[in-house]
Amino acid sequence: MLPLDPSQLKWFVEHAGFIVAAPFLAGFLIIMGLRASKTMSMITSVSAVVYGLFHSIAIFQALVTKAYPEPFFQQNIDWFSSQAFTLSVGVLVDNLASLMLIVVTAVSLLVQIYTHGYMREDPGYSRFYAYLSLFTGSMLGLVVSTNLFQMYGFWELVGVCSYFLIGFWWYKESAAKACMKAFVVNRVGDFGFLIGILLFLMATKDFYQGGVLLGFVGSNGTDLASVIHKAAEANAITAGSLFVIACLIFMGPMAKSAQFPLHVWLPDAMEGPTPISALIHAATMVAAGIYLVARAYPIWLTPDGQMGPALTVVATVGAITAFMAATIAMSQNDIKRVLAWSTCSQLGYMFVGLGVGAFTGGIFHLFNHAFFKAMLFLCSGAVIHGLHGEQDIRNMGGLRKSMPITHFCFLIGTMAIAGFPLFSGFFSKDEIISGAMVNHPFIGWLMLITAGMTAFYMFRLYFLTFTGTYRGNAHPHESPAAMTWPLLVLSIPSMLTGYLGFNFANLQAALAGEHSEHGLPNHFASFVFGPSGPHFEGVNLTLMGTSIAIAVFGFAMAYLMYLTRTVHIARGFAEARSGVRQMLYNMSLNKWYMDDIYFGLVDRVFLPLFKRAWTLIDMVFVEGIVNGVGLLFVSAAEVLKYLQTGRGQSYALVIFLAVAGLAWIAYIFPIR
Amino acid sequence: MSEPQHLLSILLLVPLLGCLAIACSPEGMARKMAIGFGSALFAVSAWLVAQFDLSRASEYQFVERLSWFKHPFPVEYFVGADGLSLSMVALTGFVTLMAILASTSIGNNRPRLYYSMLMLLTFSVLGVFISMDLLQFFIVYELELVPMYFLIAIWGGPRRSYAALKFLIYTFFGGVLMLASLVYMYSQMNASATFDMVKLASLTPLLPRDIQIMSCLGFFLAFIIKLPSFPFHTWLPDAHVEAPTPISMLLAGLLLKMGSYGLVRICLGFFPYFFIDYGPQIMALGAFNIVWAAAACLVQQDMKRIIALSSVSHMGFVLLGVASLSSGALNGAIFQMVSHGVISALLFFLVGAVYERTHTRQLAEIGGGLAKQMPTLFYFWMLGCMANLGLPGLSGFVAEVTIFYGAFTSPMAEWISKGGMVQGWIYLACTGVILTAGYMLWLLKKLFYGEELPKWKGHLHDATTTEKIVAYTLSFSILALGVYPAVLTRYYQPISDKMAAEAKEHIEIGFDTNQQQDPEKQVH
Repeated sequence: MLPLDPSQLKWFVEHAGFIVAAPFLAGFLIIMGLRASKTMSMITSVSAVVYGLFHSIAIFQALVTKAYPEPFFQQNIDWFSSQAFTLSVGVLVDNLASLMLIVVTAVSLLVQIYTHGYMREDPGYSRFYAYLSLFTGSMLGLVVSTNLFQMYGFWELVGVCSYFLIGFWWYKESAAKACMKAFVVNRVGDFGFLIGILLFLMATKDFYQGGVLLGFVGSNGTDLASVIHKAAEANAITAGSLFVIACLIFMGPMAKSAQFPLHVWLPDAMEGPTPISALIHAATMVAAGIYLVARAYPIWLTPDGQMGPALTVVATVGAITAFMAATIAMSQNDIKRVLAWSTCSQLGYMFVGLGVGAFTGGIFHLFNHAFFKAMLFLCSGAVIHGLHGEQDIRNMGGLRKSMPITHFCFLIGTMAIAGFPLFSGFFSKDEIISGAMVNHPFIGWLMLITAGMTAFYMFRLYFLTFTGTYRGNAHPHESPAAMTWPLLVLSIPSMLTGYLGFNFANLQAALAGEHSEHGLPNHFASFVFGPSGPHFEGVNLTLMGTSIAIAVFGFAMAYLMYLTRTVHIARGFAEARSGVRQMLYNMSLNKWYMDDIYFGLVDRVFLPLFKRAWTLIDMVFVEGIVNGVGLLFVSAAEVLKYLQTGRGQSYALVIFLAVAGLAWIAYIFPIR
Repeated sequence: MSEPQHLLSILLLVPLLGCLAIACSPEGMARKMAIGFGSALFAVSAWLVAQFDLSRASEYQFVERLSWFKHPFPVEYFVGADGLSLSMVALTGFVTLMAILASTSIGNNRPRLYYSMLMLLTFSVLGVFISMDLLQFFIVYELELVPMYFLIAIWGGPRRSYAALKFLIYTFFGGVLMLASLVYMYSQMNASATFDMVKLASLTPLLPRDIQIMSCLGFFLAFIIKLPSFPFHTWLPDAHVEAPTPISMLLAGLLLKMGSYGLVRICLGFFPYFFIDYGPQIMALGAFNIVWAAAACLVQQDMKRIIALSSVSHMGFVLLGVASLSSGALNGAIFQMVSHGVISALLFFLVGAVYERTHTRQLAEIGGGLAKQMPTLFYFWMLGCMANLGLPGLSGFVAEVTIFYGAFTSPMAEWISKGGMVQGWIYLACTGVILTAGYMLWLLKKLFYGEELPKWKGHLHDATTTEKIVAYTLSFSILALGVYPAVLTRYYQPISDKMAAEAKEHIEIGFDTNQQQDPEKQVH
């Protein structure tokens, strides 16, 4: 806790815009000149985010200690005004936003420190810091957005930063392809998002009097829930149209948070430098989709505020993604891609949480996941760095000895993501699964199975990388301090944050045999949603036991297959040459053939067809008709050739005469 | 505060004097003098902006009027500027200066004639934006053909005479149509006949519906040829591909804006019924332009052609915004004129910069990897492409998003009988968001990403100082407009609000009569 008195804390809340402005300013300064000096670029970028972290903690403290007594702080400026509507841009700080601010600034800070070690030799070092700063600014802007329009704006900005950073090594053909794919797939999502906003705007534009157009929160009934309610009363919106709007807007989160079927860009995004994978493609940007759904939650409810079909869509998409990504992760051999697919899968969990009403569980998992997944990615970066660019886990092994700190952190991260008891992932995942069991038992069971697979593939990764004997040709070495310290710092929240979302009184009650679905609130949930928030989970001992058992089973399978190598199921799958096993293995290895389907459709079917159609239509019809008219005049001019010699004049004269004639006819016969 | 006198005449005199002075000066001096006159022009337009009274933004200011003769019809010199004209004048001053600075490649190829023509072009463009007399408007609108024809036909690429002639014929065709409409309108107004655009704006909306539509048709066709819009757009790619870089900057940055300016000022301002009766169809045309041209970009191999067709796509937004009759979308459409003027100037400039180094515009021959030897140009390209595909924070986004928002909440989209169709066209236009991202990024990838071809090793160089000045200036304006659009919108917002409000009055009448003609619809 910072030694500040309440009035100072209040000042911090009311000037939250500075958090956003600082990294933008830093990025701008680096681009405009500081990039000449590597040290200056680094210092500018890091100090902006250090300031941001400090400011975010102050805001958090102000909200926790009630030094800022209101539930939220909001300030807007008119960005575009006209008689029809006014679009605003502003700053919104409430409990949810303050948590996200801390996550973003903290992870960004650690990643930026790590970058100093990781990118030291790269000629684009300063440029990298500029992009990092711009990204951090955009992400923070997204977090404090006051309305859907502003959110859409920053949504695109984080997307473009992601594009720059994936394509950071522009000379790599694969990176060039990956960055373009990421941006275009995201644009497909944004297309739905945009149309969703348009429909929503059309339905609700008359109900924001006194508030912000498309605003999330507001006083006097201008918050999203009340606006939807008012619109429903005035018949401007119905349950059906709200469902359509919710599904369209959800296309945005589906693309940004890499959900089926728009997930295809995320694994390829691993072409970017590893710090980026940690910051953007694991901890922050991909979580923007979850944040949007949480922020604009009333859109996914029915007009009268009940859980409806839109949430089922969210949960289903999340469940499919979680399951699919886990099956794919089991057979991948690139250390970063395994992590990428696991990110996909974990984001699916978060959507399941939001979709089944375990609302705090989804946010809580986002919070925990940000730390442990960032750490896992940074560990993988340390491994790649230590092995001079090697990413294939088949050429690793035994790194425990040469990279002890990385090994320790990776192990912590693996345990956290696999849902081992007492690590952070356990608590949030458990909350999501128990929520799903109540509303959608099938999804709940699917998530339990996925949890087992998660434990399996994560430990497979761990065993292949860090245990056994080294199988490659490089000389592994531990990373410099700038890289190991951020790892160690991140390992602390990975171990401890789980307890924030857990009330031991509930566990005691469960152990004492009191069975209740709605237990006492925990710290995390009551902070994010207040003591009367949407949903609190009690402790279900049976479920907890089952999920522990399944996670342990996954761990045991990985242990037997990849450490002791006494069970050969995996090899059996990989070496099968026919039958179901081969089919399943190929399906997993080839990522369910989604890329092949998309590229096949675009490259083989859509583009060639389109090219032919375009050539035909534009060359034959447009040019043909318009030139045909020209030809008509040319032939007329042929007649006049003996009088006129210049081609230009003859065209002009004929046109002029024709039109003058038409005008004359129109003048004689006016239309009445 | 007393209004300074003759400011607009000074504004017109600068390029006119420049044209004559450069023509009489030695060849070696031409470029320096052109930069001098260009700067003077920019300074005068800045002065004009500074003197502009924002509280009366919707009225004509700095008005000057000289009557020549009155019979059989009045001919006069009549200029004035309201917020809309002012925005366009500022754009003209700015882009012209940039184009003059970018004219280094002209070198010793008859610079005197070139710069003198350029000044004449500027004169006529300025004349279009500040004319308050319709006849005078028509004359300067047509005058622009002369310098443009020669600029393409003398300094253009290999197929320059074809392109110049095609440009001339298309535009001339439009001009004649406009003249026909002008005469028709004048004759239909009987006793109150006038060319005074202020009076016309209040008189012509009172004309009978059919006459309005007939009169507007010629103007409309002339302007959408200039805009250009499908199916009259084919002159544009040819003209751009053949024109030298600075001329492309002017062509896309300013000349296309004459079409959109006319569309707002004359078609919408004088003949609201045209938009009420055919608004949905015009919106459909706009949406179709956006998608069609963007789709066409996906199959081009010539980088300049891609940028040229993307202009067609982006001017489709103007059509969509203007025809929706919503103040928000109209505001966005005017913003798009300025924004596209700057963005396309930057993009054509960058195309020229790459072409000067590689001497080819074919993407396959360039083969990618240029970022290695041209990092600075690469960043400018990135910014230009991002602005073109509507990245928030850059000016393209403001226009796109406000046009979409405005069009979707416009009276057209909420019109009971045709609203569904209008919404459908807006959905179609929204797919342009994906297509634009697709072709712009594909272009960027083909030029800069990947390994560079062996033939370029050591043969290319990065941006020169002049290039950096031009690119930085254009980029900063794009950024400034995008971050805080109110710097521009406050100049013309009262006008777009007023126009939308006036159109709305007519809509109430117009939609009613439509429904009376359609008794079955009323039963439902």
